[in-house]
Amino acid sequence: MLRVENISHSFKTGNEWTKVLHSINFTVNQGEMVALLGSSGSGKSTLLNLMAGLMKPLEGHIYIADQDIVKLGENKLAEFRRKHIGFIFQAYELITSLTVCENVELPLVFQSVSPRIRRQKALQLLEQVGLQGKEDMFPSQLSGGQQQRVSIARSLITEPSVIFADEPTGNLDSKTEEEILAILLHLNKTLKTTFIVVTHEHEVADRMQRIFSLRDGYLINGDFREESPVSEEAAP
Amino acid sequence: MKIRDISRMAWDQVKRRKVVTGLCMTGISIGCAAIIVALSIGQSAQAYVTEEVNRNFKMDEIMVMPGGGIPSPAGGGQAGQQENENLNPGKLTDEKLEIIRGFKHVVAASPFQEAGYLQMVTMDNKIGDTQVVVTDLSKLTHFDKTFSMGGGSGVQGTAVLNYGATLGLMDVSVRQNLFDQMNADPFNQELMNQYTSMQTTPTDLYRKQIQFQMQDYSVPNGPLKQSSALQVTGILEIPEGYSAERASYEKVIYISPETAAQLSKEMAFENGSALNLPEEGSYGSVTVKVDDVDHIKWVEQMIQKLQLSASDNLYQQDMLKEQFDMIKMAALGVGVFILVIASISIIVAMTMSTHQRRRQIGIMKVLGANMRQIRNMFITEAALLGLLGGLLGVGFSYLIIMGMNKLVGTAGNGLTFFVPLMTLPVGLAFAIMTGVLSGIYPAISASRTDALTAIKRD
Repeated sequence: MLRVENISHSFKTGNEWTKVLHSINFTVNQGEMVALLGSSGSGKSTLLNLMAGLMKPLEGHIYIADQDIVKLGENKLAEFRRKHIGFIFQAYELITSLTVCENVELPLVFQSVSPRIRRQKALQLLEQVGLQGKEDMFPSQLSGGQQQRVSIARSLITEPSVIFADEPTGNLDSKTEEEILAILLHLNKTLKTTFIVVTHEHEVADRMQRIFSLRDGYLINGDFREESPVSEEAAP
Repeated sequence: MKIRDISRMAWDQVKRRKVVTGLCMTGISIGCAAIIVALSIGQSAQAYVTEEVNRNFKMDEIMVMPGGGIPSPAGGGQAGQQENENLNPGKLTDEKLEIIRGFKHVVAASPFQEAGYLQMVTMDNKIGDTQVVVTDLSKLTHFDKTFSMGGGSGVQGTAVLNYGATLGLMDVSVRQNLFDQMNADPFNQELMNQYTSMQTTPTDLYRKQIQFQMQDYSVPNGPLKQSSALQVTGILEIPEGYSAERASYEKVIYISPETAAQLSKEMAFENGSALNLPEEGSYGSVTVKVDDVDHIKWVEQMIQKLQLSASDNLYQQDMLKEQFDMIKMAALGVGVFILVIASISIIVAMTMSTHQRRRQIGIMKVLGANMRQIRNMFITEAALLGLLGGLLGVGFSYLIIMGMNKLVGTAGNGLTFFVPLMTLPVGLAFAIMTGVLSGIYPAISASRTDALTAIKRD
C-alpha cells in the first residue's frame, strides 16, 4: 500500500549539506496502523513530509497506491493528496473562520463535491468522532481534544488511502490523549484505513500494530535495514 | 472547486478582514466615483449643449429648397414661365408640398419664405424694423412655436408677431431724436442705456393693427409706400432660454401667402416689389418637421426623389458628439488614472493579507488545494472587493452629482448634472477590473506559498 524505497534526504545549511535520512526502506500494508518513532531530530517529521508529498527526497521512491509520488509535479501532487492522503496535525491546524462542519468539509470543497453531500458526510464523521451537535461551532469554542477530533474527521472525509498523523496527541493531556488514541484505533479497525502515526512517545507507539524506529536518520527496526547508524557522510 | 464555494470563501474573508476591506473599498470607490462623475459631467454637458443646439438649429427639421432643372428666380420661376415648367423639374410646388406632408414620419411641412425686411408702423406711429416670413399661420405651433396670446388665423390681412417684434418699437420722432443725440455724443453711457432699455421694452400689439412702409430708394426722392392695415391675431412666446435682449435681435412677422401676395402688390415699386416672393403656387423654401431625429435621413432621401434639395443640421450634432467624445475620453482617462492609483492600495492590502494568511494557505495546500484553486480564491476576493468598492463608488458619485447641482443651482442656466445609467456598469466594470488586476500579484504570490514552510511551527 505504502512503500518507501531507498529514501535519502539532506538539508543545506550554509554551504554544507547535512544528511537527515539514510536509505530508508519499509512497507506499510493496507489497513495497518504503524508508528514512526523517534526522538527530536531523528528525521521522523522529514520522512512524514516526504511520504505526504510535501517535500521531494534527493534519492529514492515513495509508492502510495502504486503511484510513485516522487515523480509527480506540484499540481499532480496536490490532486494526489486530495484523493489519497489525509492529515492529522499536532496543532490541529483548523481554519478559525470556518465552522466545525465547514472545516471537516474543506478537503471535499477542493474536489468540487456538492454542498449537500459534503455536509452529509461531515456530519456522519463528526458523529463518529463524538462531536455530534457541535457542527456549527467555531474551533475557538472547542477544547484541544475536540479540535483534534475535528482534525481526525477532516482527514477521513476524502476516504484516503493513508492518513499521516504528526504527533496527534502531542498537545493533549493524558486523559484526552487516551481518548484520541482510542478514536484512531477504532477508526482503523472499523474503516480499515491505513494510519502512519509519527510520535516520540513510546506509550503511543506501543499501541500501534508495528513500530518503525528512527535514530539520527537511520531506520533501526524497519522492514529492510540496510545501513547502520554510523558516521554522517556528506550529501550531494 | 465550485464558483459558489470560491465566492462564499471570498465573501467570508471580505467580511472578516474589515480593515483590508475598508482600505481597498475606499481606494476603488474613489476611482470608480471619479469615472462615473467624469462621464456624467461630460454626458450632462453634452445633453445640455445638444438641447441648446436643438433649440437653435432645429435638429428635427429639414430645410427643403427647389433643386435641379433650370434654376428660376425665387426658386419658382417667373410668372409666364408656366408653360416651361417641365424644364424646371426641381420646382417646389404645392403638389410636392402635399406629397411631402404625406410622407411617413413627417409631422408637418410648411413654407417659411423669407420675404424681406420692412418697417412696421403701429397705429400710434411707433416704428420698428422686422423680417417678413411667409408661412401657413395655422401650422406655426407644429414648429415648436407657442403663442402667448391669440393664435394664427387663416383670414387674409392678419399677422402673427414673434416676441422680438413687439420689442423696441419707438415713436418716429423719439427715435430720430435719440439717434441724433447718440450721433452727437456717441460715448454717452446714459444715452446708450436709455436706447438699450427702449430696445427691450415690449409694446402690446395683440389685436392691434399694424402697417408696413418702405421708401423706394431705387429712384431719387422715391415715394414712401404704406401697406393696408394688418390685424395682429397672435403673439408668440419668447423662446425658452432667451433673454429679452436676445429676443430683441430677432423681430419676425409671419403672414400667410395670400396676405403676402396682397402686400406685394401694395408695396410694388418701379423696379419690383419690396417683398421677394416666389410665383404663386410655388415656394422658395419649405420646412419639414420630422417625428424623430433618427428618421431625418430617410425623409431627406424621399424628398430628394422629388428632385428637391434637402438639408438638415445633423452635422452640428455630429460635430458636438465628436467634441464631447473627446472630452469624455479625457475624463475617462482621469478616472482610470485615479483607479490605477487606487489599485496600489489593493495590491498592498492584499499582499499583506496574503502574508498574514500564509498558514491558512499552507493548510489548504496540504489538504489538496492546488495552485489554481488558491489563485482563484484570491482573485475572486479581489474582484469582490472591486465590486463592493464600485458599488460604494456609485453611491459616492450620486452624492457628488447632487452636491454639484446644489453648488451650481440656478446659476447653471438650465444646466443640470445627472448620472446616466450607462455610466454605472462602466464604473462598476472598471472597479471590478481594477480589483482583479490588482489581485493577480497577491494571488500568484499566495498560490506559490510553500505548504510545508507555511505550516511549520517554530
